[in-house]
Amino acid sequence: MRRRSRVVLLLAGLVALAMTAGCSVGGPAQQKLTVTGSTTILPIAEASADMYQAAHPGTRILVAGVGSSQGIESVSQGTSDIGTSSRELAPEEKKLGLVDTKIALDAIAVIVNPSNPVRALTMQQAAAIFERRITNWSQVGGHDMPIGLVNRDEASGTRDAFSKIVLKGRDFDRTAAVLPGTGQVRAVVTESPGAVGFISLGFVDRGVKAVAIDRIRPTEATVADGTYPISRVLHFFTKGQPKGLAKAYIDFVLSTPVQDAVVRDAGFLPIDKALK
Amino acid sequence: MRSLERVDKRLTNGLALGVIWLAAITTVAALGAILLYVVVNGIGSLTPAFIFTWPHGVNMEGGIWPTIQSTVYVTALAMLITTPVAVLAAVYLAEYAVQGRLVRTIRFAADSLASVPSIVMGLFGLAAFVEGAGLKFSVLAAALALSFLLLPIVMRTTEEAIRSVPRYARWGSYGLGATKWQTVSRIVLPSATPRITTGVILAAGRAAGETAVVIYTMGTMINAPLFPSDGGRTMPVHLMLLAQDGINLHAAYGTALVLVLMVLAFNIVARWVSRRNRSMQG
Amino acid sequence: MSAGSPREGQAQAPAPQDRGPAGNGGLSRISRATHLKEALLRNAFLVCACVAVAGVTLIFVFVGYQGWPIFAKLGIGEFLGGRVWYPTKGLFGILTLVVNSLLAMAGGLVLGAPLAVGTAVFLSEVASPRVREVTRPAVELLAGIPSVVYGFFGLVLLRPIIARVFGGLGFGLFTVWVILGVMIVPTIATLTEDALRSVPEGIREASYAMGATKWQTIWRVLLPAARIGIIDAVILGMGRAIGETMAVVMIAGNAPVIPDSIFKPFLTLTTVIVMDMPYASGDHRTALFGVAIVLFVISMIFVASIRVISRSRGEGD
Repeated sequence: MRRRSRVVLLLAGLVALAMTAGCSVGGPAQQKLTVTGSTTILPIAEASADMYQAAHPGTRILVAGVGSSQGIESVSQGTSDIGTSSRELAPEEKKLGLVDTKIALDAIAVIVNPSNPVRALTMQQAAAIFERRITNWSQVGGHDMPIGLVNRDEASGTRDAFSKIVLKGRDFDRTAAVLPGTGQVRAVVTESPGAVGFISLGFVDRGVKAVAIDRIRPTEATVADGTYPISRVLHFFTKGQPKGLAKAYIDFVLSTPVQDAVVRDAGFLPIDKALK
Repeated sequence: MRSLERVDKRLTNGLALGVIWLAAITTVAALGAILLYVVVNGIGSLTPAFIFTWPHGVNMEGGIWPTIQSTVYVTALAMLITTPVAVLAAVYLAEYAVQGRLVRTIRFAADSLASVPSIVMGLFGLAAFVEGAGLKFSVLAAALALSFLLLPIVMRTTEEAIRSVPRYARWGSYGLGATKWQTVSRIVLPSATPRITTGVILAAGRAAGETAVVIYTMGTMINAPLFPSDGGRTMPVHLMLLAQDGINLHAAYGTALVLVLMVLAFNIVARWVSRRNRSMQG
Repeated sequence: MSAGSPREGQAQAPAPQDRGPAGNGGLSRISRATHLKEALLRNAFLVCACVAVAGVTLIFVFVGYQGWPIFAKLGIGEFLGGRVWYPTKGLFGILTLVVNSLLAMAGGLVLGAPLAVGTAVFLSEVASPRVREVTRPAVELLAGIPSVVYGFFGLVLLRPIIARVFGGLGFGLFTVWVILGVMIVPTIATLTEDALRSVPEGIREASYAMGATKWQTIWRVLLPAARIGIIDAVILGMGRAIGETMAVVMIAGNAPVIPDSIFKPFLTLTTVIVMDMPYASGDHRTALFGVAIVLFVISMIFVASIRVISRSRGEGD
């Protein structure tokens, strides 16, 4: 979901204010934590922050979605306590002394209608489809049926990742439908026999079929062992080892309730599958 | 020959009237389809828990209470700002104004204001109130932006209401030596009040259902606003975001139903006010 | 909506004899204090009336201030005439969006205007009072349904149906036309009905007396007599259609190209703002305000043309 950073800041502030209004006067000193960065991670960071604050009155967690690069920048400069990122550190960023905590996996599935006989695509074919160099399913072993492209909006983190990993930064076909939400993409592909789109693996349901990419089917196992190619790791970066409230919050995000509820609800895969 | 012409004439008449009936039936059917669809799909969501609890989690499970609160708050504040200005402006146009360039300008401005697309009004609110006046995303900024949208609507219904007050009512007042303002405030406005009220309620329905203006002036945060400086997410904005995400359609149907019911309630109350007035006069 | 403001000529301001003591006649008989109070109130009302003028001016100033730099930077021709809208590549031509908006409006009008005029004729000439009691509230309710609900309805019910019947994804001009066609019915129907009702009863009776059928009376007499009012209504319907945002954004599919079929996705002037505003910054954001200026000017042109048409009628009579 797309929300402006100011909105998020204000929301976090208001929630925190409402929660602390009663006890801030004369109570224990308020603890504050600023979490800035990736819009992809925003739903997780926000929902976890709400839950954490509800459980620990007197804490205030400000969450803002401004993009991964901004997040890394602000945590290294000390303007935020945690920088969230949906990409790895660039070589020059590795010298900044940031500590990486992996918090979830995001795999992006290419989905087609269940009636479509196409079960697998190569990475090149997938790219060609979304660039409209391939326009008919018969070109990739399916029926003679025009391909109906479904793209996400420019603000989508999923689109950004798909573009980088599959299209290698080349342009999407501009005649594709541009839809502002994962559920819409899924609904359209469920209903239209010729449609193809991409969504986070966690949102794939019986109404759509996720095709194999380079012969690897997207499953929790293939994502966890890193063989499924269209996936990425979601990171929390801290300046030095996390401590205090930052550590408590990160531990909370990594706890089973958050990993099994919030992370999965947001369409991502829990990190513990990959690490344990 | 002549009788043939008559048959032809009657046939055309019958066919054409059939087409007119068809147009009216289509219009009513369109309304029926929308209402039926929203009710059938939304009724399952419509539980006390849905209405009175807060949404939670990344996909907005749970209820929509803060969005109802936000909607009512911003609608009430917008009407509070709009009504006095619009009514007095209408009093001027109906009772005081002399036809001339000034009145023509005012009418042209009101007509223009009424046809400004709401998305433009939203960006205006963002530029003028949220950023320009430093109100941030707030109920007040949204109410101010909405009031520009509602002003011409309430002005027009009020002016019509004032003009429908019979002239002899005014003559009686003047005959007793009343001044202009005394006549307007004690005779004209009281008789026009039921029709003005109807107009104001219908405008409130419009405000409650507005999306494009509110989303850029009040923001999208889930919040139960307490002060006019607080932000919030209204029902139409909530519905839009749920529909865009497309994950929690259950909540979207429920929100659509509550929203439609609220608009229906505004219409029914407005109709009741005007009917009671008519029966009192008749 | 707007042209419904009582027109000069039809509902004249109170005639001079109604003006009461505030007019010059009674001045000598009321005290100075009362006179002062009356004058103050009069001016206070005038100020309220001028809020409308101030509103239009403020919109122009604020949206203009935010959006003008894009005109200055690209030139009016480049912005309005540029065919490629590709913000991430720094291309901000909105011609495609203008064309798409006009296409959406035109189709909505073709479907909606006959429906609306037919409904208005039904309400004013055909329906019995009892049937009218049911039909008119329906038209009013149609006007009251929020546009986001129309959009949602279009997205979850109409779009899948159209996808099934015509193939493709269901996003596109056709879907938008159907929804816009219904949405503009109340706007056009209400004003058309007003226009038909203002045709004097005697004219209908004269027509029937000459042996005309109901339909002949409607087609040859009433519709021509109410012509100006209907044209005004249709222009307002056009304004509503081209400015509609929330309903269109959910069913248009938002591809920034001129579609080669009425079942292919397209992006319009209003929907580009909704899609891009959440993340736009710099020139991109300025360009969106530039789009808002264009929409504002289009709506002003519609209102002005209603003025011109009404005035030409006034001179012709």
